[in-house]
Amino acid sequence: MNNTEYLLLVFGMTLVTYLPRMLPSIIIDKMRFGAGTEKFLRLIPFTAIASLIFPGVFFVDGANPFIGIAGALVAGLLAWRRFPVMVCVLAAIAVNFLQYSFL
Amino acid sequence: MSTSNFKAEFLGGARAGVPVVLGFIPVGIAFGIMARQAGFEIWQTCGFSVFVYAGASQMMTVGMYAQGASIIAMVLATFLLNFRHLIMSTCVFERIKESSFKQKLIAGFGVTDESFALFTTEQEERCTIAYFIGMNCVMYTSWNVGTFIGAIASDFLPVIITASLGIALYAMFIGLLVPNLTNNFRLGLLVILTAICNTVLSQLMPPSWALIISTLVCAFIGVFTVDLDSKEECADE
Repeated sequence: MNNTEYLLLVFGMTLVTYLPRMLPSIIIDKMRFGAGTEKFLRLIPFTAIASLIFPGVFFVDGANPFIGIAGALVAGLLAWRRFPVMVCVLAAIAVNFLQYSFL
Repeated sequence: MSTSNFKAEFLGGARAGVPVVLGFIPVGIAFGIMARQAGFEIWQTCGFSVFVYAGASQMMTVGMYAQGASIIAMVLATFLLNFRHLIMSTCVFERIKESSFKQKLIAGFGVTDESFALFTTEQEERCTIAYFIGMNCVMYTSWNVGTFIGAIASDFLPVIITASLGIALYAMFIGLLVPNLTNNFRLGLLVILTAICNTVLSQLMPPSWALIISTLVCAFIGVFTVDLDSKEECADE
């Protein structure tokens, strides 16, 4: 890709990515939320994170859904027992490493 | 806000961002390799990560470019894919009480799926702009280091390591989400409903839109069915 085209592409991508990320920060001060809307906003992290996990986790390895399932189960179990996030991450990686090594 | 406060909060955020490194470096390497294979120069490859800073859309763009897509098509696809951050950013900044305009302009750049997930599941009193910016410095750096490695050196990690690291970001999302569900059965049900909803919708439409719809619709359902405050008494004891 020549430089002019590239700069145009990156400029466009940066703009359409940055604006939706930044605009709420300057608009939100001017808005007042009712109790219902506030509850709605407090629930979004849970539903958004659930959507970020499923169904994607099944396709961590396109050829073998059990890689994602095993990793998720281990992370979920440790998280349920309130282990730190980093422990969940490392344990899931370790389990997948073992799966790739021996299965 | 005093400088020492800012520094302490910044470092706290940076520490919280560390689990993301394990996910961002390998994905960054994969992006770097993909972009080089698609025909981008090294500096162009790194430029995507420095300025755009949006993993999935960068991957999609180089894929589209390899298939001969126009610039307008690539920018439009990026917009559609990243539009979800409008919702996530609203939740992030709803939690930040005091900040200057300049800080907001910087912090807005760092709203990603991962920073959103980390920040909005953090205890409310820790949620300051310095914490968010600190978190993002770690994540932004690792994304760019990964991209640079991929762009110059191609894949130096053994295949088995790269494959095993694929779970990292999912495990992080799980590690952030699950502790909130142990004391709130109805919230757990809502999360399961959302998972099913998004899995079904992803078959019917582009995944980025499925995510937006299932996030909003299920949160709306939750307003009437979930009691968030019953959780707060017992959480983080």
